[in-house]
Amino acid sequence: MTTTTKQTTSETDDPTWIEWATGMISALLVIVMIGWVAWQSLTEEEQQPNFTVAVTEKGAVDGGYRVTFEVNNTATKTASAVVVRGEILDGSNPIESADVTFDYVAVRSKSSGAIIFSQDPGDRALRIRAIGYTDP
Amino acid sequence: MTGAYWGADSRQRDNDEARHFLLGLSRGAAGAMLFGIPMLMTMELWDLGFYIERGRLLLLMIVNIPLLVVLAHLIGFERTTTWRQAVRDAIIAYGLGILISAAVLIMLGTIEAHMPASAILGKVAIQAVPASIGAMLGRSQLGGQAAGGGNEDGKQDEESVEDAVPDAISTHYSQELFLMAVGALFLNLNVAPTEEVILISYKMTQWHALAAMLVSIAIMHAFVYAVAFKGTHEIPGETPRWHVFVRFTLPGYMIAMLISLYVLWTFGRLDDVAPNQILMSAIVLSFPGAIGAASARLVL
Repeated sequence: MTTTTKQTTSETDDPTWIEWATGMISALLVIVMIGWVAWQSLTEEEQQPNFTVAVTEKGAVDGGYRVTFEVNNTATKTASAVVVRGEILDGSNPIESADVTFDYVAVRSKSSGAIIFSQDPGDRALRIRAIGYTDP
Repeated sequence: MTGAYWGADSRQRDNDEARHFLLGLSRGAAGAMLFGIPMLMTMELWDLGFYIERGRLLLLMIVNIPLLVVLAHLIGFERTTTWRQAVRDAIIAYGLGILISAAVLIMLGTIEAHMPASAILGKVAIQAVPASIGAMLGRSQLGGQAAGGGNEDGKQDEESVEDAVPDAISTHYSQELFLMAVGALFLNLNVAPTEEVILISYKMTQWHALAAMLVSIAIMHAFVYAVAFKGTHEIPGETPRWHVFVRFTLPGYMIAMLISLYVLWTFGRLDDVAPNQILMSAIVLSFPGAIGAASARLVL
């Protein structure tokens, strides 16, 4: 308990066990957190951003053909302004390409977005890949 | 309050009460404005109005109600003695928060007639939460004299001036933790919507994060026990210093941490994010949260 008077605020010198229990649990959590972060900083080597792209959905929409995808950063460093380019390939020649920019793709995290082509790729191959990023 | 007044006395009393109530209302409105303005002028919060997940927005709005009721019970528009009064004050504060938020957003041109209703509602609903807390704080922090007429008559008697915060309150441990949560929530709502929070968490290394944690805890402790602000807490002579550190400061930091996580989750900042990145963002946001929690213990 805490007693507040007009002039002073004073903690009681006779705390209940609940106060101690809360305090101890909190102390434990803080120690675990510090330990976790410290352990990571000691063991984790810094890897430059590395992206994998997985298409999650395809389909015709008004005014084009939408390909929804997730870009996954598998490394231990966050990338910002990640540009992802989608291309429809005829053999090895791209016949249509479209870009989309992600603000951030965080460490070991996913961001999702979509590219809208003007045509249905049909049987042609689709290539979606990250083509660049900046360090945050 | 006995109803035994008659004639002029009774009218005089009614006038006093009405004026007193209006004074409280305007202080609340001023508080909503003062504490709400940083958020009302934050672009990210306008955008959140569009895209925040509706379930999470609903939860935030519902959580705000018991929070305001308990806050009203502790500091209130009036000296609340019953829970019914606390509920009434909480509703008034929430209403003021909604009105002030809507009015300011319209004035700033960020709510326009052609916008879809859901976007307008979303914008106002998010802003109303900090604004309503502000309205509640406004009553206790701006002025604070609850006694009808004392100031206006110019014959203010030092002894009889009632404070919105009673002279001596004995706050339970749970109330103390609650106040810390409110303080942390308030500062978090200010800071969390900005992109800077995630950007900082990306820029920080783990060493920065460790430093931020230790500094947050140290600041929390210093704010409440060392720096001689008005309201600084005293430690009884025979109690070792680490006792209050364990019983108040560390739980306070954990509360700041939990509130940070909750606010980040509400704003959709944790979706598809790796656990260690979640922790980093929470540590970043707990820094202002810890300061908010510590100040709440001094101010409220």
